Amino acid sequence: MSIDTFSASRAQRGLRDLPVPLVVIALAAVIYITAAVITGQTNQISLPGLSGLLQRTVALGLVGLGQTFAILVGSIDLSVAALISSVAVLASYLMQGDPGMIAPAILACLALALVVGLVNGGLVAYWGINPLIATLSTGLILQGVLAAGYTYLSGRVAPEFQALAYQAWFGVPLPVLLLAVLALLAWFVLAKTRFGAHLYAVGGNPDGAKLAGLRVERFVLAAHLIASLGACVAGLYLAARLQSGTPWIGRDGVYDLESIAIVVIGGTALSGGKGGVLGTLAGVLLFASLDASFNMFGVDAFLKQVLRGAIVIAAVAVYAVRNKGHVA
Amino acid sequence: MTAALEMRGIGKAFNAVKALDAVDFDCRAGKIHVICGENGAGKSTLMKVLGGSYRPDTGEVLLDGVPVRFQHPREARAAGISIVHQELSLLPFRTVAENIFTGMEPTRWGLLDRQRMDERARALLQRLGSAIPPRALVADLSIAEQQLVEIAKAMLVDARVLVMDEPTAALDDRDARSLLDLVVRMKAEGVAIIYISHRMPEVMAIADRITVLKDGRRVWTRDRAEVTVNAIVTAMVGRELQDFYPARAAAAPGLPMLEIRGGKNALLRDIDFVARAGEIVGVAGLEDSRKSALAQALFGDAPFAAGEVRIAGRAVAIRSPREAVAAGIGYLPGDRKREGIAPRQSVRDNALLTLQAMAPALASPDGGARARPKVDQNLRDMDVRAGDFGQEIATLSGGNQQKAIIARWLMQNPRVFVFAEPTRGIDVAAKAAIYGTMRDLANAGRAIVMVSSDLPEVIGVSDRIVVMHQGRIAGELPAGAEEGAVMRLALGVADPAAAQEMAS
Amino acid sequence: MTAIPDTARLARRISLRGLNFAFAIFVVLYAAIAILQPNYLEAGLFMNFLRRAAPLAILACGQLYVILSGGFDLSMGAVVTLVVLAASMLIGGDAAMTWPVIGALYAMGLAVGLANGVIVSFLKVPSIIATLGTMLLVNGLALAWSGGAPRGDLPDNFRNLGRLVLRDVPLVGTLPVAVIILAAVVLLTGWGLHRTAYGRRLLAVGDNPRAAELAGVPVKPTRISAFVISALAAVTAGILIGGFSGVSVNAGRGLELQAIAACVIGGAQLLGGRGSVVGALFGALSLFALFTLLNLLGLPQALRDSLQGVILIAAVGASVLRHRRST
Repeated sequence: MSIDTFSASRAQRGLRDLPVPLVVIALAAVIYITAAVITGQTNQISLPGLSGLLQRTVALGLVGLGQTFAILVGSIDLSVAALISSVAVLASYLMQGDPGMIAPAILACLALALVVGLVNGGLVAYWGINPLIATLSTGLILQGVLAAGYTYLSGRVAPEFQALAYQAWFGVPLPVLLLAVLALLAWFVLAKTRFGAHLYAVGGNPDGAKLAGLRVERFVLAAHLIASLGACVAGLYLAARLQSGTPWIGRDGVYDLESIAIVVIGGTALSGGKGGVLGTLAGVLLFASLDASFNMFGVDAFLKQVLRGAIVIAAVAVYAVRNKGHVA
Repeated sequence: MTAALEMRGIGKAFNAVKALDAVDFDCRAGKIHVICGENGAGKSTLMKVLGGSYRPDTGEVLLDGVPVRFQHPREARAAGISIVHQELSLLPFRTVAENIFTGMEPTRWGLLDRQRMDERARALLQRLGSAIPPRALVADLSIAEQQLVEIAKAMLVDARVLVMDEPTAALDDRDARSLLDLVVRMKAEGVAIIYISHRMPEVMAIADRITVLKDGRRVWTRDRAEVTVNAIVTAMVGRELQDFYPARAAAAPGLPMLEIRGGKNALLRDIDFVARAGEIVGVAGLEDSRKSALAQALFGDAPFAAGEVRIAGRAVAIRSPREAVAAGIGYLPGDRKREGIAPRQSVRDNALLTLQAMAPALASPDGGARARPKVDQNLRDMDVRAGDFGQEIATLSGGNQQKAIIARWLMQNPRVFVFAEPTRGIDVAAKAAIYGTMRDLANAGRAIVMVSSDLPEVIGVSDRIVVMHQGRIAGELPAGAEEGAVMRLALGVADPAAAQEMAS
Repeated sequence: MTAIPDTARLARRISLRGLNFAFAIFVVLYAAIAILQPNYLEAGLFMNFLRRAAPLAILACGQLYVILSGGFDLSMGAVVTLVVLAASMLIGGDAAMTWPVIGALYAMGLAVGLANGVIVSFLKVPSIIATLGTMLLVNGLALAWSGGAPRGDLPDNFRNLGRLVLRDVPLVGTLPVAVIILAAVVLLTGWGLHRTAYGRRLLAVGDNPRAAELAGVPVKPTRISAFVISALAAVTAGILIGGFSGVSVNAGRGLELQAIAACVIGGAQLLGGRGSVVGALFGALSLFALFTLLNLLGLPQALRDSLQGVILIAAVGASVLRHRRST
């Protein structure tokens, strides 16, 4: 990535000054409201309806937060879907419905996420393996072990844990609050701390960052750890919501591809060094409203998958198509 | 006066190759010491040792008489050695202040202190004579402004020793002059400056002392007053370089090979341009003259939107490089590594690439039994130095890569050749070879268009000089024109006095 | 500088080593299989092995083109699934429909390949994301079309392409039709890559697309054709798989990653510029031999995925280390 891309500059900045996240949020609102009006389901625009919409954003949003860090630093994480499934299965297996096991189960899942993040980061940053291949492979490894061992790993989360997914404080569902808090934390780290500034530096120009004395590998490793943590929290949430985990949760939800799509559509560049958390939140809102609209129209499940694939491509294409260079 | 910096007996080898052989070097505060040498002479290696990126095998480095040993560039920076690199290390989507402070951001209670960052950045830039706002995005700055930010970054640590590696390579004459003024000002502040450059006018303008390196050894170090350009070039190359620039065209130019009338696109206007068989037309201009846009338009990379183009009298539409090739135009891009070579392919395949590009998809990849020996012959004629033409082209030196690319075009036999910055980053001996090649190509009946930011090169090589100014052709000058005259046109200035001042 | 000729020769030895590496691995693995089950050394069983490995090898040959162009084709598996499901529904047990339907299947493959190519070349979406997207899309289409439940039977003349074994063939005894098809694909893709101008263009595009463009190479059509070839290979593999595995909604699952692993084992450089068809072939055979060996050892099927992950990391990691040492 080089400096001569700067020539897309002053003259064209006018329209670009519109912050991308706001445009995306506006688009999400338009789509949702239009769908509700057309299908006559205007009850969707009420408070419970919107609450439901926000609930839809939680799982993908949590993964997206983590993925944002990975992409900002110039890497990417395709193992999130497998990790989500693994965490969901592990949590329900360890809890076996016993509230006393909630804390140990959560700790174990965090530990798993830590290991996966370390492996991903290690392969990418220290061994120099292409992040797509590295994370795709670790995802495969997790998926295989999970599928092979699932017969021995069935379980159920504790009812108290499950209840957390359905509670609300002051009308706001607890999971949504969780997402908001974590998003705020992520934004703060990126915008206000040295660590955040260094992440942008490493992603924007790794050679320059190295010359400035930054240890590039450490930041890539940290970013992958954060990405895995995001997937872990998402997995725990899904386990709570669905009562137990299966090896297919991650894949069925297409969390790997969609988390990338929401990050990109929010304005974070795939090459790294540009973007942030607000964009990701806007992206997940857009996808949630699209999903809700499809439901309002009663779109068949398989057809939804077709549309999902098309939307992901379109989401990335909207930014990518401006790229003047060659893409492989 | 004790030397601010002294390097004694520095040796460094990579595998079997000796990059540096017992090199002595010293630099005094408030003085500019220029290092000259061909590519591969060891200049960058020496600076990397100084900057802490490499550890020397033998010898030592002393700062103010005290031996130092750096394990990492950070330590060198902390010791007051700042290096401004050739490849810009800036982050395009961050602000100027954020870029300057990368790695050493000021904090308050553990959080980024943006206010202090902006203030200090502004002060630093002002010291360098610039009014760039600290909150501007680097992506919105011109190359010259980015270079300035890069220098500000280097100056942040109150450098005692400042190393600049070919800082004017990507700048046009006007911005280069501003940079040189800046360097002289920093010298007045007492900084010891090490300046690496190929450009003789610059060297002679600012050096206090000059060191020439060749093949990893120091040839000599002399005061500027005792030195001539010829002496430097001779020392760099190891032999007398008579007639650095080849003789002008033997005969009068022939028929027009390339004609453009009313050429126009987003960046260019009113382009009326002719290049005749047998002549070398040089295109000069400042950084914003859009001369590179002209080269790209000629080759269809960023085509004309309006206007008429004729090749050898025939009207053609050139909307892509492929159409340009088909019409009989060849193109040597300015950035070899990014735009010229396919690094992992063999030298031979690189030389065959255009043939392969234009042949039918299912045709034989080396053009058949007759073409195979021809490509090797072309490579040899161009004097491409390679152990084996089947080896990866990335292993060749820059000059040899450039020659291989020219050989590629010889297979096509184009009528018009467009050279964009043909000798950028190439050492002196290879430069002379390329000038000779251009003249040979022209003498064989082709029209050569040479777009170059190197003014002496344009004046020395061209039969005719076209000067551009902000997307238009400002005027034409005959061969051997005076630098001042070119500069006047390039600046769009009619006032001789002002132009005279700029040129001096 | 004296270092240059040595690195040149070393570099070429490395790329040849990639080829020899895959071949050597295959020999070792097959030997291990033979130790466990000596009758694998018989010509008949060897042919059978080749027959079952043929789809993977064909996929690898197609994937190679995309990898050489600098990208990845993750939609291959979905195309296989589509082919299998579409074939069963369109032919509907009527043998006369077989060949027209096969024509239609290749047309579908062509469409997918074109879509992939256009999305990457014109919309500038990175191929990983683009082909993951088309994978979702194509899978969804296949499922929507078949309602999630495969119907219809594949007639014998279709299935024979994958199943039929010619007997009393001189020299080898038995010769599966699938192996003949494999040989044809290998010859075709090998010729296309190594003996045509197109192949060199492809390598240049993967190596440095900007330089290729400025040398006059038609970059976009070259890249699009690579995706088309990959998709057509997937259709061919799908036909063979439908032949001997029957119809299932999971027919193609995971095959694209196996194909990538095969290419990497065979010495192809990820992100373009270097690779060979024979390398991909032996990479695929090695991978299939590994799976066969592990089956014989009683390893659960599901662990195949994990194994592939490890192989991918090992193969790519090894080439990274090799590259680091030689620069």
